Amino acid sequence: MFSELFLPVLMVIFMLVVGGYAVAVLDRLVASALGTPQAGGIWLAPMARGAWLLTQHANATEAPDWRAWRLAPALYLALAASGLAVVPWSASLVATDLITSVVLWGSVEALATVVIFLHGWSANSLLALIGGYRYVALGLSYILISMFVLIGVALPAESLQFTQVVASQEGLWNVIRQPLGLPLFLIVGLGMTFWGPLNLADSTDLAGGTASEISGPPRLVWDMARAAMLVAFSGVAATAFLGGWLGPWLPGPLWMSLKMLAVLSVLLLLGRLLPRLAPERCVTLMWVVLLPLSFIDLVWAGAVALWE
Amino acid sequence: MESMNHGLGVDIAFLLLAALAVVTGWRVFRTDSMVRASFFLLVSFIAVGVIMILLAAEYLGVAMFFMMAVEMTVMALFMVMFMMNPAGLNPMNMVHQERIAIGAGVAGFLVLGAMALLAAFPDQPVPAGLEPVRSLGNEMLGDSMLIFESAGLVLLTTMIGVVVLSSHRGRYGAAAEGSMPPGLEPGSDPAGKPEEDEEGEHHHHHHHH
Repeated sequence: MFSELFLPVLMVIFMLVVGGYAVAVLDRLVASALGTPQAGGIWLAPMARGAWLLTQHANATEAPDWRAWRLAPALYLALAASGLAVVPWSASLVATDLITSVVLWGSVEALATVVIFLHGWSANSLLALIGGYRYVALGLSYILISMFVLIGVALPAESLQFTQVVASQEGLWNVIRQPLGLPLFLIVGLGMTFWGPLNLADSTDLAGGTASEISGPPRLVWDMARAAMLVAFSGVAATAFLGGWLGPWLPGPLWMSLKMLAVLSVLLLLGRLLPRLAPERCVTLMWVVLLPLSFIDLVWAGAVALWE
Repeated sequence: MESMNHGLGVDIAFLLLAALAVVTGWRVFRTDSMVRASFFLLVSFIAVGVIMILLAAEYLGVAMFFMMAVEMTVMALFMVMFMMNPAGLNPMNMVHQERIAIGAGVAGFLVLGAMALLAAFPDQPVPAGLEPVRSLGNEMLGDSMLIFESAGLVLLTTMIGVVVLSSHRGRYGAAAEGSMPPGLEPGSDPAGKPEEDEEGEHHHHHHHH
């Protein structure tokens, strides 16, 4: 009972906390490496900010939908936790080895759209609402691209289970077998965590977008949830394209952590280097360029799977 | 229940999820906003999806999550757009045609309740070697492929048709071109339209004479 129920829960909570902290530290490291001075020590500043947010007053707007407004950050965190729960650390070390874990990750992406929209909508405030609508308009294209790319990795595995997807990369990692997959999936990752160039829901041109009206503990949860979602996404990307726990000499979980850190670093670097896209151009880019590329990726994956 | 491998936890989970599905389904009609109603319905469907996973329908249960998530988001936004209720935050009544609805509800409850009580349900535990995802795939892309593929094609055509009909920019210019807003009073001029340039000029000209 203990190992079946509590161990996976503890594992996911551990990942949420450590992963969230790792994102905050890595982002500060990347920023200072690129020449943006960081106030305070890199290792302590995230904790200081968290503690400060905890003691701050939670802002209120005029007649918000209180339940949805307070629940949305927690729900986004819960979605990140669901994503982390299906990421395998080794052939046996996985919180939930669901046979449809690839589809569950697709559901996490789809439900993230609902939660981000709800977060912007429930504040009853103009800029937050625009941020929410923006995300829905873009989120649909992220979900579609992600779906085609993930069907691509499920084809050689002949399974919708992430552990099988890793096992199918024993000879050749999917990043080489399906060269379009990882770049497209990284763009989806920046999109669904609205990070860096694809931060259109919470962007500065909307004074913070869906998060423009939140402060104090709700903001702490929202920031943590975004970081945790980035970690969950890195786990899925490392599993689907970089061979997950596979690798010589080192134990599986260590390989997995290194690959996740590599994906995280690339995402955070892109987030710091690339300018934010205009939302209208972003929609065109998604539907006209990236979605057809994801079709090509899927056809490629199917042809390779037949040939092998 | 006697020899099946599920424990007390599954029963408790089923009862809680069933209660959640019913309560949120009821809230759909008691809330006062289209956005809230859509997302209450989503919670209800998610609870049903988890029950399906408990019933070993692991693909259909998880598919319910993402299908309903996208569906309810699109539904909420389209309702807000077409109902002219800014952002869906204004309170509004979620029920109409109450007599018919009550009649249909009572009849539906009686029929489904009678089926639950009187029908003979098969008592077959899930076989040990069952692969629900594989068997579902074989079913959909095996003998029933023609049905599923033609249904999929019809749905895709419908979606493309709807997008074409509702998109703002069409082959012949903007969709709103030539449309007139209604007047503030029945039979009056379109509301919010600026004075015609031609008319103003004519008036001006007349004044000069």
